[in-house]
Amino acid sequence: MKFAPLLLLATVALLIALPWLVSGSMLNAAVQMLIAALFAMAFGLLCGQAGMLSFGHAAYFGVGAFAAVHAMNAFGGAGLLPTPLLPLVGGATGLISGLVAGYFSTKRTGVYFAMITLALAELLHALASHLKAVFGGEAGVSSFRMPAWGIGFGSLTDVYFLTLVWTLLCIGLLYLFSKTPLGRITLGLRENAHRLRFLGYNTHALGTLIFAISAMFAGIAGALQSMNIEAANYVVLESHISTAVVLNSFIGGVRVFLGPAIGGAVMTFFGYVTSDLTRVWLLYQGIIFVLVMMFLPRGLVGELVERLRHRSGQGVARSLGATLLRLLCLAVAAAGAVFLIEFLQRFLSSEYRAGVSEGNWPAISLFSYDWAPLSVLPWAVGLGLFGLGIALVVTVNRRVADRQEAQA
Amino acid sequence: MPLLTGVSVDQILFALLNGTIYGLLLFMVSAGLTLIFGMMGVLNFAHASFYMLGAYFAYTLQPLTGFWLAIILAPVLVMGVGILVERFILRHVHEHGHAHELLVTFGLSVVIAEMIKMVYGKFAVDYRVPAELNFAAFSLSGIDYPFYRLLMGGIAVVMFIAIWLLLTKTRVGIVVRSAIYRPQMAEALGHNVPMVFMGVFGIGAALAGLAGAVAGAFYTTNPNMALELGVMVFVVVVVGGLGSMGGAMAASLLIGITNSLAVGSDLRIADLMSLVGMGGWAEDLGGLLTMRMSSLAATLPFFIMLLVLVLRPSGLMGEKE
Repeated sequence: MKFAPLLLLATVALLIALPWLVSGSMLNAAVQMLIAALFAMAFGLLCGQAGMLSFGHAAYFGVGAFAAVHAMNAFGGAGLLPTPLLPLVGGATGLISGLVAGYFSTKRTGVYFAMITLALAELLHALASHLKAVFGGEAGVSSFRMPAWGIGFGSLTDVYFLTLVWTLLCIGLLYLFSKTPLGRITLGLRENAHRLRFLGYNTHALGTLIFAISAMFAGIAGALQSMNIEAANYVVLESHISTAVVLNSFIGGVRVFLGPAIGGAVMTFFGYVTSDLTRVWLLYQGIIFVLVMMFLPRGLVGELVERLRHRSGQGVARSLGATLLRLLCLAVAAAGAVFLIEFLQRFLSSEYRAGVSEGNWPAISLFSYDWAPLSVLPWAVGLGLFGLGIALVVTVNRRVADRQEAQA
Repeated sequence: MPLLTGVSVDQILFALLNGTIYGLLLFMVSAGLTLIFGMMGVLNFAHASFYMLGAYFAYTLQPLTGFWLAIILAPVLVMGVGILVERFILRHVHEHGHAHELLVTFGLSVVIAEMIKMVYGKFAVDYRVPAELNFAAFSLSGIDYPFYRLLMGGIAVVMFIAIWLLLTKTRVGIVVRSAIYRPQMAEALGHNVPMVFMGVFGIGAALAGLAGAVAGAFYTTNPNMALELGVMVFVVVVVGGLGSMGGAMAASLLIGITNSLAVGSDLRIADLMSLVGMGGWAEDLGGLLTMRMSSLAATLPFFIMLLVLVLRPSGLMGEKE
């Protein structure tokens, strides 16, 4: 991994140059990606490094978001808390709420921990709709970014740089944290908490502390989010935010340091790009997650790092060839699956069903063709592509296995 | 008792009955979850999704087969889904450990919820109690009590007795219990343990499906029902202790009854505090303290859970980890 620092430097340089390279809507997507990356990193600290699976991280994200909006209104971007420092408020409230929630949830470990985090997040969500003074009810709380330090914070570019600086700073801090003795013990908590207790560490206090640190960074991500959209609504406390961060982080791979960040950024990017193309992005996200969990248990980045580290004895070119061939076959299967899902989605949508009259099924337009839903063709195309792709993957796998056996 | 003014004995009786039946329903789902966990060590996050599938399957079948056949066929279909999930997905990731299995079922719960949204739309479907069952069982001081609630409770009770007899009195039950207790030994004695696991997973799914098929008609059937019930079931399991049927039963009833008592109560925390002379201070503070119990009812189970975590972290009847 000699190229890692260079790669990192190039990525940062690209991120700094981004506002001059892409359009406004893409820059907006980039802000979302950075926030998702930071949120996923906060989750990765808890789940990847400490081995505690939280299903309720939206709570701390949301708490940070609301704290930042209230601070924005209270200070007006001046005085003790100028606009660029507002994420500190999000971090502080995240830390405090993380200490409280962490105290309760780390009383248990394993699956109980996961269930408690989910229940706590649902508790906050249920309370939020009643506490209008804090959470603003249906309308939420809104505010304005005020200029500070000679920066206007009115344009998207300013917001982008604010988010970029905070995200890079936080990821850097998380990296340094993983190098501290506390960071090393975190790994111990994941690997063998019993032994840690035996060695005299207070694992409950340790777990609470790590939970709080993770919640702090989630709070900062939440604050950046509400500063970006200049509002916070209790939708940020809903379960789908917690779900998204779990899916993204594991798709990226939680055991490698930047895995969650890359997972979060990539999935947010695809979510953004496909938002006008499909209405069932979350379904795809769920399917991708299940497939990654089944076939690439280390996550995409984790698997990549693993492959690079342990290159197989046979030539790189050949294993690369087999991988590329597999990807090609998978692409065929994926095309079939996407076709089927999109066709079904349009077929089952309420708009389509409203247009159906007695015995008259209008054609469905998909991928610039009109398909008659009652004919065999669309179903055959979807199922055929899917089946063909799977059959090809199986064949390739068998060939590779045969070849390896012949070599051995 | 100034706190209870305006609440009649009948109302309390109704609340207790409602709570017991809701608790039985919770138990119907958490029993399957506990059974699967005790056996395979897998926390099945998609368990509440099976409950939702049961409701939607029954809703779909009802116009074709009638109500009774629908609530029999729906659990069978859910059982099929459960067996497929165990055979082709869970068994595949088994080698990666329990955390991984939990994550996969979590992913499945997302996929199932999204598929339901795709097929049936985002809003509640019109699945209701059939007209012939929609009558009052009895009435107290002019308020009718729906027969269907009693039917739900009855189905739940019959189901438990059946499961309990199956597990304790039959040969199948002995094999299942031995497979839970010492899987390797049971396998060495010639029992097909993976098959037993698949069967238990299927039965657990079917129980959740039956609960969904029956309860979906009375409560609402919407794509959110899995999450709403799932969270409650998790609270039950944390309070009661996983793997303990008795604990699950006690916690289900506790949460069901407190929930329904709270819904019917106008009590506020400020009123309670005025008993010790702090009422005025609480009124000034507002917020949570002046909120009526009825609007806080949805959050009460969570507070019970926090209390149990502080006082008895391993759950009411759970063993120490």
